[in-house]
Amino acid sequence: MDELHPPVADGATVAIAERYEPLVALVGPPNSGKTTLFNQLTGLRQKVANYPGVTVEKHVGQVRLDTNREIDLVDLPGVHGFSARTLDERVTRDVLEGKVEGIRPPDALVLIVDSTRLENQLMLVEPVLELGLPTLLVLNMCDELSERGGSVNDEALAERLGVDIVRTSARSGEGVDGVRAYLAGIDTSHGPTEYVERTLSNQGRGVSLPVVDTFAARRKLVSEVVQGADFVPPGPSAMSDRLDSIFLHRVWGPLIFLGVVLLVFQSIFTWAVPLMDGIDFGISTSGEWLSTTMPDTWYRSLLVDGVWAGVGSVVIFLPQILILFLFLGILEDSGYMARAAVIADRMMFRVGLQGRAFLPLLSGYACAIPAILAARTIDDERDRMATIFVTPFMTCSARLPVYALLIAAFIPNEPILGPFFGTQAATMLGLYGLGIVAAIGTAFILKRTILKADPTSFLMELPPYRIPSLRTLALRLLDRSKIFLRRAGRVIFAVAIVLWILMQFPRTELGAPGIEESALGQIGQVIEPVIRPLGFDWRIGVGLVTSLAAREVIVGTLGTIYGVETADEEAVALQEILKRDLTRGSAIGLLVFFAFALQCMSTVAVMRRETAGWKWPILQFSYMLFLGYAGAFIAYRIF
Amino acid sequence: MSYQGETRRNKSIVQALPVAKNEQDGADLRLGDIPLRQEVELVSIDLPAHLAEPLLERGVLPGCRICPVRSSPGGDPIVSVDGSLLALRRETAACLCVKILSQFQDAD
Repeated sequence: MDELHPPVADGATVAIAERYEPLVALVGPPNSGKTTLFNQLTGLRQKVANYPGVTVEKHVGQVRLDTNREIDLVDLPGVHGFSARTLDERVTRDVLEGKVEGIRPPDALVLIVDSTRLENQLMLVEPVLELGLPTLLVLNMCDELSERGGSVNDEALAERLGVDIVRTSARSGEGVDGVRAYLAGIDTSHGPTEYVERTLSNQGRGVSLPVVDTFAARRKLVSEVVQGADFVPPGPSAMSDRLDSIFLHRVWGPLIFLGVVLLVFQSIFTWAVPLMDGIDFGISTSGEWLSTTMPDTWYRSLLVDGVWAGVGSVVIFLPQILILFLFLGILEDSGYMARAAVIADRMMFRVGLQGRAFLPLLSGYACAIPAILAARTIDDERDRMATIFVTPFMTCSARLPVYALLIAAFIPNEPILGPFFGTQAATMLGLYGLGIVAAIGTAFILKRTILKADPTSFLMELPPYRIPSLRTLALRLLDRSKIFLRRAGRVIFAVAIVLWILMQFPRTELGAPGIEESALGQIGQVIEPVIRPLGFDWRIGVGLVTSLAAREVIVGTLGTIYGVETADEEAVALQEILKRDLTRGSAIGLLVFFAFALQCMSTVAVMRRETAGWKWPILQFSYMLFLGYAGAFIAYRIF
Repeated sequence: MSYQGETRRNKSIVQALPVAKNEQDGADLRLGDIPLRQEVELVSIDLPAHLAEPLLERGVLPGCRICPVRSSPGGDPIVSVDGSLLALRRETAACLCVKILSQFQDAD
């Protein structure tokens, strides 16, 4: 490095060089404990950063070093290689090559590997070292290696590879101080690393050999190095094998899988309720308190009825989202998710998807946005497109308040199967089913038309079962809350203000106009002819427009339009008023419309980022709108 | 080498390919035909490059040892290879040409 960067003589440059915080990238294969180490090093000092251009939710954290210095650490998606087939691989490659706008080239690298599978994992070493950056090799899960009777001479390994080595058990925190010490020792005297044209790929340097030869050569090198370092591979994990014989059993496997899915649902809908009621109570009482303590000025209704109620209507979903992500976190970190994907793969394959789509689709029941991001691990581009195209059909939690309101108002609750399963529950279940059927049908059609492809492969590594780390789970939940609240804050805040303004104009001599004469009402009346065939009037039209910001907004909007004042009686009162304006058929039509239509601009925005263009989001939006309209029309005629 | 270049429009993954004819024993034995717990050596990967590459990255390379350890509820193989457990589809397993290790080779 020193030859490449001659010492700087200029005084001003030296000053800058002393102040800068080096950027270190954390790379490694999936399941090597990368994120656990990242969390150990950065704790709460991390943020999720979005960078323009690429679709990334990359984690950058600060590591405080003893010497009163800080370094920036980037957690990159886990990769097996650099063919850049998946979006994750592309992100990792681009960051390492220093090609991502807004993030400078890394000054050093930390390569973390699972030491129980050293040979397999060190396949990354050669391409990573070719970058020519100072690199620390972290041999993680060393406790597991020795427990299972394996060993490695890390000094010999370090010598052969020409890198520094630290042994860790990131889960217990053992050895993390060694990583910290390495980070503290990074030479910053030559100033930030400048951009150098680098290329990472699975191909060898220079001559373009067939990939298989490159891999064979790389593998030979790794085997020599590892054998030279007296690596004794660990024995098989007996515990994992026993658990697999249950979880992947021909009969028990699918049953447990079903049980897990049901448990996740059950918890979203039942365990979350007390928490949601609590938040609801907090929002409405604080709203009342605000309206009684604030002076009666023009901005009071904006703040209380608009902003506070609007933001509150979204914050209420936080418990559901957190419970879902808690479950997903446990399933993923324990190693079960990989097994679930294997079980789901055969079913998914039939409809044209693959096992890796299971996690995104399950996440879609909370919210389509993290679900679409979770689809990044799908290595086939067409499979990924099909998956994210159908994800919004999964009944996300934003649809729930709409369903709850309309079902309570229009479906009389008559028992079907005992007291716990009546017509209302059946309707709710039917709407979930409708989403699943639409998703399956759409995937089936897509994979036979515009996303037609050769059969793709499905490969899933099954990591040993592990007990999830509480710290990692907690940090993940915190992260999710931040993302969710930020989105809720921005979108709903903006909608609330725009709605409020549209309702205040055009001014009359008495002040604000009646809702029908306001700009908002006029917008609804422009839409009315289009939605008349569905049995909707201009009021529902306004709701449909505002719910584009987020589906649940329609509830608040209808409340505002019908002039239902107090939050507590809102639900019951709104139901009664709705019964005057909607028939049962049109109400069911509205339910079907919400089951299908992509009433969520945030999803459209995420789709645009994830597909790098407007083509897919526009197609998806129009397709889902068409289905929603057609479905609502049919439902209106039938019921 | 018996993998194919980018042939994206083919109907099936399984190509009629020259399968390592120089191997004297069982030139057309596929991983899918191997019973559980029988360790075999991978001879060649009979897949187009874009499908073979993810396998290669995970250490499934000609010359490596593979052992089917169980089968998923859907009937797909789960194999132990290179120190990891890997789940494949049976369609993929049918494209991996293998040979049975003789008892003498087994000893190392």
